[in-house]
Amino acid sequence: MTDQRAATRQAGKSTVTLQDASLPSVRKSRSGRRAQNRDGSGNRKNKPAKQTWAGAFRKDWRLYTLLGAPTLYFIVFKYLPMAGNVIAFRHFTPGGSIFGEYWVGFQYIQMFINDPTFWSVFKNTIILGVLTLVFSFPMPIIFALLLNELRSKKFKKIVQSISYLPHFMSVVIVVGMIFQLTSLQGTINQLLGHFTGGAIDFMQQAAWFRPVYVSSDVWQTMGWGAILYLAALTTIDESLYEAARIDGATRWQQTWHVTLPGISPMIMTLLILNIGSFMAVGFEKILLLYNPLTYPTADVISTYLYRVGIESNNFSYATAIGLFESVIGLTLVMSANSISRRLVGASLW
Amino acid sequence: MRRKSLRMVAIGAAIGVAGALSACSTGPATNSASTTNLASVSVGAMKNYTAGTPFKATVPMSFSLLYSDHPNYPQKPSWLLWQQMTKLTNVKLNPTIVPMSDYAAKRSLLIGAGHAPMIIPKTYPGQETPFVQSGAILPVSDYVNLMPNYEQTVKEWGLQSEIDGLRQADGKYYVLPGLHQQIWPDYTLVVRTDIFTKLGIAIPKTWNDLKTALGRLKAANPSTIPFSDRYMGGATMNIASPTYGTAMGEGLFHLGDGTMFNQATNKFVYAAAQPQYEQLLAYFNSLVKGGLMDPESFTQTDDQAIAKFTSGKSFVISGNSQDVVTYRTSMDQTLGKGKYSISKITVPGGPAGNIIAGSRLENGVMINSQALKSPNFVAMMQFIDWLYYSEAGKEFAKWGVLGTTYTKSAAGVRTLEPNINFQGLNPQGTKDLRKDYGFSGGVFAYGGSTDLLQSMMSPEEIVFQKAMAATKTPQPIAPPAPLSEADQAQATLLQTPLQDYVDQNTLQFILGQRPLSQFGAFVTELQGKGMTTYVDMKNKAYTTFKNKK
Amino acid sequence: MKDSTGYKVFRVFNITALLMIVFVTFYPFLNMVAQSFSSEGNINAGRVNLIPLGFNIETYKIVMGDALFWTSYKNTVIYTVVGTLISMVLTTTFAYAISKRHLKGRNFFIAIAVFTMFFNGGIIPNYVLISSLGMRDTLWAIVVPNAISVFNLLIMKSFFENMPAELEEAGAIDGLSTYGILFRIVLPLSKAVLATMVLFYAVINWNAWFGAFLYLDKSSLFPVTIYLRNMIAGASTASSLGGNAENVTQIASNIKSVTMVLSVVPILLIYPFVQKYFVSGVMLGSVKQ
Repeated sequence: MTDQRAATRQAGKSTVTLQDASLPSVRKSRSGRRAQNRDGSGNRKNKPAKQTWAGAFRKDWRLYTLLGAPTLYFIVFKYLPMAGNVIAFRHFTPGGSIFGEYWVGFQYIQMFINDPTFWSVFKNTIILGVLTLVFSFPMPIIFALLLNELRSKKFKKIVQSISYLPHFMSVVIVVGMIFQLTSLQGTINQLLGHFTGGAIDFMQQAAWFRPVYVSSDVWQTMGWGAILYLAALTTIDESLYEAARIDGATRWQQTWHVTLPGISPMIMTLLILNIGSFMAVGFEKILLLYNPLTYPTADVISTYLYRVGIESNNFSYATAIGLFESVIGLTLVMSANSISRRLVGASLW
Repeated sequence: MRRKSLRMVAIGAAIGVAGALSACSTGPATNSASTTNLASVSVGAMKNYTAGTPFKATVPMSFSLLYSDHPNYPQKPSWLLWQQMTKLTNVKLNPTIVPMSDYAAKRSLLIGAGHAPMIIPKTYPGQETPFVQSGAILPVSDYVNLMPNYEQTVKEWGLQSEIDGLRQADGKYYVLPGLHQQIWPDYTLVVRTDIFTKLGIAIPKTWNDLKTALGRLKAANPSTIPFSDRYMGGATMNIASPTYGTAMGEGLFHLGDGTMFNQATNKFVYAAAQPQYEQLLAYFNSLVKGGLMDPESFTQTDDQAIAKFTSGKSFVISGNSQDVVTYRTSMDQTLGKGKYSISKITVPGGPAGNIIAGSRLENGVMINSQALKSPNFVAMMQFIDWLYYSEAGKEFAKWGVLGTTYTKSAAGVRTLEPNINFQGLNPQGTKDLRKDYGFSGGVFAYGGSTDLLQSMMSPEEIVFQKAMAATKTPQPIAPPAPLSEADQAQATLLQTPLQDYVDQNTLQFILGQRPLSQFGAFVTELQGKGMTTYVDMKNKAYTTFKNKK
Repeated sequence: MKDSTGYKVFRVFNITALLMIVFVTFYPFLNMVAQSFSSEGNINAGRVNLIPLGFNIETYKIVMGDALFWTSYKNTVIYTVVGTLISMVLTTTFAYAISKRHLKGRNFFIAIAVFTMFFNGGIIPNYVLISSLGMRDTLWAIVVPNAISVFNLLIMKSFFENMPAELEEAGAIDGLSTYGILFRIVLPLSKAVLATMVLFYAVINWNAWFGAFLYLDKSSLFPVTIYLRNMIAGASTASSLGGNAENVTQIASNIKSVTMVLSVVPILLIYPFVQKYFVSGVMLGSVKQ
């Protein structure tokens, strides 16, 4: 609750919040609760004494039962196999023990740290990840907002249903399309021919790889990504818009002060999650799209590993690199989360 | 999930990628040649099993097998293949079905997890290397004395030096390769013979001839680019490089690790640094510069290249025998039947002559080392020997059952039963040799004598094969140079950036993005990337192995 | 209330922009559909645009005439339904519990979930685990290992957190237990997010092939994704020994687009039902005073 209020306060001047809108009783209890937490002069009271585990269990045992099965799932199917990661530090040979044969310490880690190619593909991974984040992340939001402005419900439904179709095209098909569009006689060059007269060999220039990759990603994810935001938009109370209209807000101001704050928890959640996974750039797509001429910008960690190919210690090396990526991802999410909490009061936990 | 899963599949597939003849390898933990007391594992084996003897186990037995399921002929338990196999040999195979698309990854998963079947076919030489060190795979070289047909074939066809190329650092080899009597070339250039005839252009015999021909084609059709290649130019470069005295693999078709063996100096050298390589690049650069070869050949998708050829926008493309059929089927619809004609040409020769590179070994069988614990081990080896290496077994796998699926004339010419189709040989047939009976499938039917291989080829293909055999000389095989385990990790880390840099610059030189005058600078840059270290490592492994023997 | 001129202009721009988006997304899709119904000659020559040329349904006939295809399709449906059900139950209960800020140990449980987003064991340890549990070659190997998507979990948690506490408190006052509140108040009010999650899980399960590839050895258990993947691979390998069975080239030319159509059609049919829940005001007027 606090986050929601804080977010709204942050986002705009309007004091209209979700809590305010629905019921008169809500407003009362909110101010009432606020009063509870503060003493006469507005300073925060001490929190009640910490709960003991026994006390917590007695009070919330039903909630804990809800946690039971999923937690068991996590332990058995996620944490148990994680023990296998130990082969990042042990010598693993396919066909031998799954936990490796003997300790090698940081040998594999050193192997990739000392490999200059690793760092250049690491850099590419980061750049592609950041670009994807910067361009692919806002687009579904903007798209959802644009859809929201449509008056005709039918048109809105149609547009939305069509927009997610690219999500279902396999990567092979998408890559085929990209090649068609960017070929020397393809559509893009034909258009360019009208304007500039020259053709660009997109697929053979390292400089063009990133724009091509990112735009195809935007195209493929925009419609599907908007679904969540559209779902979030439905939870915004209509009466908030009423109140804003009565206050004389223009449509734009309504968007800024009602809509955006309304979906901002979803935006923050997705932003944090996406920051965490930004290094997972599409392996299969890049593998199909790149060629030696575009290695300098296209080659990422996963494709590089793929080419490194035959090596009896492949699993260990790959696991070491995987751990490295995982640590980065986790750190990023945790940082993003605490920054978000400090800045806007919304966070994943 | 997606990222992890895709990467893991890629790793699995990477482990399974076809490797070099001179296998990089490791030594196993133990060095003792563990030829166990075979008497205890000879249950059901034939006592007097020799080459040419039909194999029949003395007691019924079954073995597990990893089966790569091809979607064009999905496996059926009812296949005559399985029934007849059991009838002839008393052996029942229990296949673990794996979709062909993911065969390599699943194979490495199963071996890695210790769950692999006993018999693991469809293993290309080099793919067994990652599994050697753990001892999961049987060192078959210790047991080939149980396989008389195999030994006889190797001797008759002179394959020993190629087999030796499979040896790991411990001196043993771990895969039973498919054996060919002769190199079996398949990829070459496919041209519009009707246009060549119309313009009076001779079918090119050398690469320079090809350039002239392309020039004539362009002169007659100035707005087109006559040669637009597929396979990212890789197939063409692979057939061209031996004729220029060099070796390489660019794009999809990396053959080898980039080194070549110089017979004169008895040393390995890095192919891309040699002057012959520059010559090769200069040739293709001249094609691109002259508008004779489509620069997009090296980066476009196969579909794009095929579209250009089948719609008549280009006149030369690379392909194999199956591709020719594909092109024809499309062109019947786009250009009209009878309005065109295409054909494979004999691979053109180059400055170094009419050389083809290639191996007479192909995909074969790995054996799970757990098989040694089975009492039927010896029988299993005999069974494999009969099925994969005896004339009778190969004929069975390929043609099926005499009288049911095929007939044989007095002169030994085999013909399919009229109702059974295969590869368009009996187009009016209602049954298919592979789909309905299971014969001629990729898991059991490959390799063999030239006669057997050609027995099922179309007449056109046989013409091509004979022409190639008549004019081409095979490139000498490089000697084995297996790396020690310690060196191998470093070698792979060196080799990939080197190969990447070669690939990149190859394309840049050909496309004119980098002037050929800078080739010398390129060689220096290669040295900076560790080329000398890599080649030295390889030469050291070569001499060590040579002296060991 | 009248629109300002500025807003009118915006509306025009909006409709134009959205129409462009429709074009850019629909055209490639229609192109693929057209290809799936076209003859190989036209496809290989690159002539097919929006209309099928040389209309034929050969590839469809071959694929759909194969009994194995239907078995695989049936499997996919079963895996999707069961998998989505299991996923929804596990995800919803966990998300609801950890959305309660007062719950002691809450952060610990969130951490358990989030950690698994980044760290996993790798295919061999997972394979050994599933094998030891005896789940290989069963339905469970497909629907259980990836039952909870932490991404979906956190989204659901966010939704639950932003639900007004007053609604649940009203339920408590009325004498409902935690379970009662969850089932009778929270879930009915969360239709939008539940529908979205069902859609997400259903799509993930529908398109999944990796678990099947890892843990299933019997082709009678394969989902349709593996079946189609294999067909695509078979079409693109130029097997020189294997020859040209009739129709192989036709299949090769449009198996990818046929695959896409077969995979997306069910989603297209289900999506309108999901859209029904994207109606605003689900929380309005739900709690009477």
